[in-house]
Amino acid sequence: MYQIIVCGSLVPDPLQTLEPITGPAGPALRNEMMLPASLDPWARHALYEAANLATIHPGSKVWLVSLGPKAKLQQVMMTIAQKVPFELIALDGPTGGFTDAAETAAALADAISAIPGLDLSKVLLFGGWESASRGAGATMQIVGERLSITEQFQGVDSLTIGDDGSLRIMERVEGGQHQVSVCNAPPAVIGWATGNLPEPSNNPRVGMSNMRGIMAALQTIKPAPVGTGDITFTSVALPTQTRTTRIIKDIPPAQIAADIVAWIKGG
Amino acid sequence: MSTLFLAHPEPDGTLAKSALEALSATIQLAASLETPFCVGLVGENPGPAANSIAGCGAARILTVSGAQFSQARYATDAAAAEALCRATAATLVTTPATSRWNRVLPGVAHRLGGHADSHVTGLTVAAGQPSISRWFYRQRMEAVFTRSTRPWLLALEGGIAPVAAVSNRQAQVTAPIENITLTLPATRTQVTGFEAPASDQQTIRPDADLLFVTGAGWTKKQADGKVKAAEAGALILDFLRLSRSSLGSTKSLVDLGGEGQSVLPFLSHLNQIGQTGSTPRHAKGLATCCHGEEPHTVGWRFIGERRAISMDANCGWARGKADILYVADAFAVMAEVNALLAT
Amino acid sequence: MPLSADPTSAAPDRPRMDADIVCVGFGPAAGGFLTTLAAATMNPDGSPALESPSMPGMPLQVMCYERADDIGFGVSGVVTQASSLRASFPELDPAQIPMAAPVTAEKILYLLDPIGASRRPFILRAADRTIRTLGGFLGVKHHAIELPWTPSFLNKHGGLVLSMGQFTQWVGNQLMATGTVQIWPASPVSEAIIENNAVTGVRLSDQGVTRDGKPSAGFTPGMEVRAPLTVIADGPAGAVGQQLDEHFGVPHGHHLHDWALGMKFVVDLPDSCELAPGTVLHTIGFPEPEIFGFLYVHPDRVASLGIFVPSWFDSPVRTAYRYLQHWMMHPYLWRHLKGGRLRSWGAKSLQESGRRGEPHLTGDGFARIGEGSGSTNVLTNSGVDEAWATGVQLACAVIDLLTAGKPFSRENLDATYVKRRRASQLDAAGRIAEKARDGFQRGVVPGLIGTLLTGLTRGAVSMPGRPCPPHARVPGLENYYAGRISKEEIARIRKDCDTKGIAASGILMDRVGWPAIPLDGELLVSHQDALLMGGKVQASAGYADHVVFLYPAECVSCDSKICVEMCSGQAITPSENGRPVFDREKCIHCGACLWNCAKAHPHNPEHALVSFQAGSGGLHSAEN
Repeated sequence: MYQIIVCGSLVPDPLQTLEPITGPAGPALRNEMMLPASLDPWARHALYEAANLATIHPGSKVWLVSLGPKAKLQQVMMTIAQKVPFELIALDGPTGGFTDAAETAAALADAISAIPGLDLSKVLLFGGWESASRGAGATMQIVGERLSITEQFQGVDSLTIGDDGSLRIMERVEGGQHQVSVCNAPPAVIGWATGNLPEPSNNPRVGMSNMRGIMAALQTIKPAPVGTGDITFTSVALPTQTRTTRIIKDIPPAQIAADIVAWIKGG
Repeated sequence: MSTLFLAHPEPDGTLAKSALEALSATIQLAASLETPFCVGLVGENPGPAANSIAGCGAARILTVSGAQFSQARYATDAAAAEALCRATAATLVTTPATSRWNRVLPGVAHRLGGHADSHVTGLTVAAGQPSISRWFYRQRMEAVFTRSTRPWLLALEGGIAPVAAVSNRQAQVTAPIENITLTLPATRTQVTGFEAPASDQQTIRPDADLLFVTGAGWTKKQADGKVKAAEAGALILDFLRLSRSSLGSTKSLVDLGGEGQSVLPFLSHLNQIGQTGSTPRHAKGLATCCHGEEPHTVGWRFIGERRAISMDANCGWARGKADILYVADAFAVMAEVNALLAT
Repeated sequence: MPLSADPTSAAPDRPRMDADIVCVGFGPAAGGFLTTLAAATMNPDGSPALESPSMPGMPLQVMCYERADDIGFGVSGVVTQASSLRASFPELDPAQIPMAAPVTAEKILYLLDPIGASRRPFILRAADRTIRTLGGFLGVKHHAIELPWTPSFLNKHGGLVLSMGQFTQWVGNQLMATGTVQIWPASPVSEAIIENNAVTGVRLSDQGVTRDGKPSAGFTPGMEVRAPLTVIADGPAGAVGQQLDEHFGVPHGHHLHDWALGMKFVVDLPDSCELAPGTVLHTIGFPEPEIFGFLYVHPDRVASLGIFVPSWFDSPVRTAYRYLQHWMMHPYLWRHLKGGRLRSWGAKSLQESGRRGEPHLTGDGFARIGEGSGSTNVLTNSGVDEAWATGVQLACAVIDLLTAGKPFSRENLDATYVKRRRASQLDAAGRIAEKARDGFQRGVVPGLIGTLLTGLTRGAVSMPGRPCPPHARVPGLENYYAGRISKEEIARIRKDCDTKGIAASGILMDRVGWPAIPLDGELLVSHQDALLMGGKVQASAGYADHVVFLYPAECVSCDSKICVEMCSGQAITPSENGRPVFDREKCIHCGACLWNCAKAHPHNPEHALVSFQAGSGGLHSAEN
């Protein structure tokens, strides 16, 4: 029986066109509040893995700790709540990529510490190994440190629990390989990469059941005014390099192939 | 102000290219700051690696050694890094952005009351203050910034500086090598091994010169109205075998697996590049059957020379992003390419 | 043979859930309905004002299921009087709604053809010559005349320019914050559950199925959501609306013969553009006389602009995308747009039969609101405010019935909802507008005259014309291009396009003098780039194809392949065997294929051979 706590914030829907601007609190995205948002892709995998684990181990419970603007959280939850059962712990704060991981981690750790009945010996602290916004790969480690959890794993694609309760974990390492570790028991921090689970179907009943808790969490949401910490930004810019693309057409495949092979072999 | 460079030897005892590149960048950084720098190595037996860079100009070379440090593991690595940082009182700490350092650096920074930044692609110094470049929103925008808090720990991406800067300094005075002993932290984790695809099925080769990018077009209906996934798979695998290139895939192609369509069985999420995948570094990139705009093409970001094969002369993947776009049928071209490479 | 089929509807272990009210679709009509209902659901102290009949002791259980992946992914070019919106939000401050702007200036433009490729009737060519001859006197500038006045029936003064996506997102967020209703995106409703001629709920689409709907990995049968009242607000091409029309028929004399495809760009205007926020331009005359255009200016140098391609534009290659690009490049507009950048793109079908397209508004257990209920005013070209009003009217009726403890029978809904609607200004204006477009059945000039007559006489006089099903109007390629392209060349082009799997419209338009579009990668982009850069189109895995060719063998002998030419996302392509192929990943759910088919259904001449069903995915832009 595990207490599975998933940290996951909001990011712009991955298909959106993004453009940086300088706002009063530092860099931000143009029209940030207008952009459709989604739960961070790796955190989403973490949530699905958590739900799957909770199904395998009856009596387990899943929390989703999410920091974002209240209106956006509410909107995104309508999509994510249909997927798997969880209890939401909501924090009202900016969700942009330019906020500091350490400040976000502090807010998340405080919220987790306040979970009634938290028993560290049962805790599996899940999250994405990076976010699609900040991409720092730092938040989970700091949350773990703040909760004194020093069994930590990042880039995880697989977690299986043995009959003896040990955790067998596969982490992505260099060269398309996985490092395999065995941790004898919780607590542990698991920063998920993609995992292996398919996207769960939408289930209206799960949505209905989640919704009661989600609405309560949103109505009692606490402010988490995280910022850019000690960072001073000099510039934030889109890549400006545009290449001059030479278009080669109407020549036979064999000739193109010869050109490509010469290019591959040349220096 | 002092700088500490942290690295770990590879299983064969040497330092990887990415470590030497990060060391080069550290040497340049320390020179710009006009401050000394130290080296800290963590591993079962980091002596040979330490000796190999003893002439790099470091004021001190410190090691943490022992069987416990042969494994890339949070608890032990974090303790080792923390001890090395404290021993050198470093205000700036650099590491190569390996999975091993990325795992522990933020936690170490927290213990030291500092901050860590990952995926650093550039280091500059102005008015005595270092700034870093790193990408946000999955390589879609680049920021330059500095921090006021110290220590500041930085995971430097491969390619940040040429290795040459290290070897040029080989003739200089060598630093003494000091081994640091530390109380081993309690850990409940054992690394039991590694899993990798069989060598003939390994499609991810970070050291390859060429990244071969495959798009969903390979599994779509071709000009004759037929889907030729099996033929596509054979062409792609043959090319990878013959060219020893690394395979990247668009998200849409990986995702097709979830739709029960004819897909390429050797592809996994590890191959995925771009928005929710990796952004590998290779000298050259060849994209085939791809079509996409900015969110899809971030996988190109760190590829040097880029070429693409597409049936669409207006292909958004290629236009303005590739150096050359061949408007042609990738099936026909790659078959010819493979024939040429096989000879 | 049914018009559509759900091959898994008989799945044995279909789960079931109960609610009080289930609403299909979240657009302006559902927004009006839920906003009004939510306000009456709770007392000021937070206690429930309306108790759930299905779950005594609980507050009213109201579910709304939206097909799109988010509540802000709708499409419309919205300039509206906004009188119903203001009635619902008396304190409405447009600044609260992103991209909203009060209307500040309105112009109607007649665009001359600067290229010479437009297919203009003789009378229009003569008029054009006269206009050009008297150019200086008439004030012709940039190949266009600004009409000296805007007819009162088109006037939107005091109204708002909106983004449909941002508006529905704003409404949805306010609604969800009340905690009284639940709006579930990414939840297509495949059909209504009809038992003994009463609607008893809805069935959500199956997940984990193959393209043809057969169970595969992760099969999850769509849930049945049972409710005493089902509110159908799924728009003009919605699957449930179509199903009810099929089951219950439509009122005598009513029909769904008139359609249009609206396609739009949202554009970052160049710095040089001097158009003020709230500017509203309507155009006629170009790129083809039958195609109308619009340009609405939002705050912060952003504009929504696009065209309407109607079903009475008798062209078998009436592609909207290419025409939209030519329209943008008209000198009058291009001087404002050149240097701009595409932000968003989208398209939707519009039900243009207006009140004559009104279905049975109620039945036992159901009521219909919004565009699919025939609320659009085809004289004033207004639909959003009207759709909202129908939602408000139904909500008031529902509150009355709940308060009185009466069931949602047809009789009770007629006595409350329909009665309100009939007594409303909306219905009166709809009646005036009924015949406004009839003249277009005979051509664009009679159509324009007819609209003007109808507007100026408040419906007393109109130009006669007999609307017929769209498929009955589609001419063959050879007829359309007679005298311009030979039969042999058309056959060659068609064969070549079938082999390559591409639409023929681009080649045919090139051939008759439309210049190539000078793609710039910013505003003038390829059609596929518009999907990616503008529409951010995406399909979720595990759903069946929602576009089904009912008699594919019949498609082989189809000459025009208008389903291919008109497909907004290039999701329908031809193939060598003559059968069109559907690619769900490119579909934006505009519904054009529903009415762009050249062949009649063998058992129902009101319909054609394409079935447009409930489906998942589509646009991922919240700015349209």
